[in-house]
Amino acid sequence: MSNPFIIEIQHLTKTFKHAAEPAVDNISFSINRNEIFGLLGPNGAGKTTTISILCGLFPPSSGTVSIDGKDLHSELSDIKNMVGIVPQDIALYPTLTARENLSFYGSMYGLYGKNLKDKIETWLEKLGLIDAAKRQVSTYSGGMKRRVNLIAGILHQPKILFLDEPTVGVDVQSRNVIIEHLKEINARGTTIIYSSHHMEEAENFCTRVSIIDKGRILTQGTPAELIRDNAGSTNLENVFLNLTNRKPRD
Amino acid sequence: MLHKLLATVKKELLLLLRDKVGLSVLFIMPVALIIVMTLIQDSAFKSINEKGIPVVFVNNDQDSLGNQILQGLMTNELCYTTDSINGKPANSELAQKAVSEGKFLVGIIIPKGATAAIRKNVTALVNETINGEAASSILPDSVEITILIDPVAKKSFLNAVTSNLREFISEVKTKIMFQTFSEQVAELIPDKEQAPKNSYQKSQIIQYKEIYASNATEKIVPNAVQHNVPAWTIFAMFFIAIPLSNSILKEKTEGSVFRLHTMPTPYLLLVNGKIIVYVLVCLIQFLLMLAVGKFLLPQMGLPALVLGNSMMGIFVLTLATSFAATGFGVTVGTLATTDHQAAIMGSLSILLLSALGGIWVPSYVMPEVMRNISSFSPLNWSLEGFYKLFLRGGGVADILPEAGKLMVFFFATMAISYFVNRKKRTV
Ligand SMILES: Nc1ncnc2c1ncn2[C@@H]1O[C@H](COP(=O)(O)OP(=O)(O)OP(=O)(O)O)[C@@H](O)[C@H]1O
Ligand SMILES: [Mg+2]
Repeated sequence: MSNPFIIEIQHLTKTFKHAAEPAVDNISFSINRNEIFGLLGPNGAGKTTTISILCGLFPPSSGTVSIDGKDLHSELSDIKNMVGIVPQDIALYPTLTARENLSFYGSMYGLYGKNLKDKIETWLEKLGLIDAAKRQVSTYSGGMKRRVNLIAGILHQPKILFLDEPTVGVDVQSRNVIIEHLKEINARGTTIIYSSHHMEEAENFCTRVSIIDKGRILTQGTPAELIRDNAGSTNLENVFLNLTNRKPRD
Repeated sequence: MLHKLLATVKKELLLLLRDKVGLSVLFIMPVALIIVMTLIQDSAFKSINEKGIPVVFVNNDQDSLGNQILQGLMTNELCYTTDSINGKPANSELAQKAVSEGKFLVGIIIPKGATAAIRKNVTALVNETINGEAASSILPDSVEITILIDPVAKKSFLNAVTSNLREFISEVKTKIMFQTFSEQVAELIPDKEQAPKNSYQKSQIIQYKEIYASNATEKIVPNAVQHNVPAWTIFAMFFIAIPLSNSILKEKTEGSVFRLHTMPTPYLLLVNGKIIVYVLVCLIQFLLMLAVGKFLLPQMGLPALVLGNSMMGIFVLTLATSFAATGFGVTVGTLATTDHQAAIMGSLSILLLSALGGIWVPSYVMPEVMRNISSFSPLNWSLEGFYKLFLRGGGVADILPEAGKLMVFFFATMAISYFVNRKKRTV
């Protein structure tokens, strides 16, 4: 454990086919072990693109990434084994029940048998889904789907967890429950990379954040540092709006 | 790895079981198709009892041979003979078409100049016998009478009809030959007693060409059941391409693909899970269709399906067909970008391949060109294989070429899917 960084990103750039501008434009940063790192930015800033590259969905156009000392390009399969993902779009089979979905995804991450069953029941219980667990996911409310979507990414206790806007559309009660559980997971040794536009949540949740826009990093630091360094800001939302010019985005 | 594969299979099974539309496409549609198509085609036989066997006669000869055979058929009560089709005088092409469509059970084509040829041959024969001249040129000139046969006609029945026909035609032919012969001989030698009575038997002057489509004489004619049960079962097996490609596309559009491609599980394993489930579905479909052919159709007054005698052959061929169908579905699902596209692409291509493959109309009644194209359809390979097993008493060894081609097709579709998928994932 000589390397304090669990993720090191250098000059990462992604230009999609037929796109005029890069979605991620030459960004470099590192994430410490056991951090809760926030990727904050308006719509289209490049948060999902960055996360997609980090978990190996597609390769970057240029730049290098190393995760826990392994090269993303050449050691992808090792990396996949230590990563958990909660995608922004619900990734569940609508005609399967919550249990069936979780059982499938858990198996894909190498869990099986009683261990898998127990973990599923524990998490369904924790996130208040036991009563609905027998129903097909298509009959769930948006917030319920989001909670199942979350469980599917954390069931196997990954070393690194990517959360792409995990609390969108979730009511306040569930949101707090989710955040508390994520903090607990982090306390047990999982590094979390979290994207959001929800500044209040990020301020309370993240140990460090990076504010990005148009694929570039605008600023980076602990929430307290950013508020202190931006004159007139009393919270992270002020900082965010100041830096990103208050215009609505695509 | 095994746990992962089992989990994938379980997921795929659950997805399929919850897809009621998909299931009915897989199991109800082919049963309905088999029953309806068999009933329609079988009714062709029933009309025979009422009016007599419908025979179309093409008299390109317009001389003694043609005229006498026609006359004979006209006066025969067993036959209902006509020399016109829809009010137009019958020609070879029209007759072939009409017979293949089941409007007539038998078509007879007397070639142009048939009578003249017989006369010429007999003259030559006489010269040979009398003058010792070489007459080896006789055979190439011999007269070919074509008998067209409805491909769905029952075999036992046809044998009776065609052998009667043959007998009758050769009677007429003999009469003409004998007439010509006596005339010739009378010219040459006044003493008829010395005429070589047997010489016209030693060479078969008129040759028969029975065609079910072509001159592939060793091809056995299936009845409606023997054709329809394997044909529509193959069709149904390939129809799994629709629910299968749909299942692949749903995963893309429902967002699961993000997880599926970032999981520590090779995508190929996920695809294998699908293949296992859908191959299993194909095997179940096949059993269901066999049961329909064997037990349900006889209840409806249709002949029962005869399986031949190689269960192993049936199993191997069915398995190969299942893999080919599944590979096809995976390819459609990979090529299409929306489930709507997949449904259209899938159903159109299967309709096309099945029409070409001889599912709707047996390929042996197709014109030469189409028959050649037909042999490119994997549905045709499978159907040919089943004909070998069900009709010609073939065994495993006989269907290995078909099974082999189907497996090559499967591996080719998997390779295509693999590369298309890789290309599609580069964004
Ligand atoms: N598959 C793709 N093909 C082409 N362009 C894409 C693709 N995915 C994203 N983009 C573009 O890349 C840019 C960054 O998108 P990205 O999804 O990373 O933004 P984001 O920060 O996650 O936004 P949001 O908060 O709305 O989720 C956008 O301009 C988007 O249009
Ligand atoms: Mg996003």
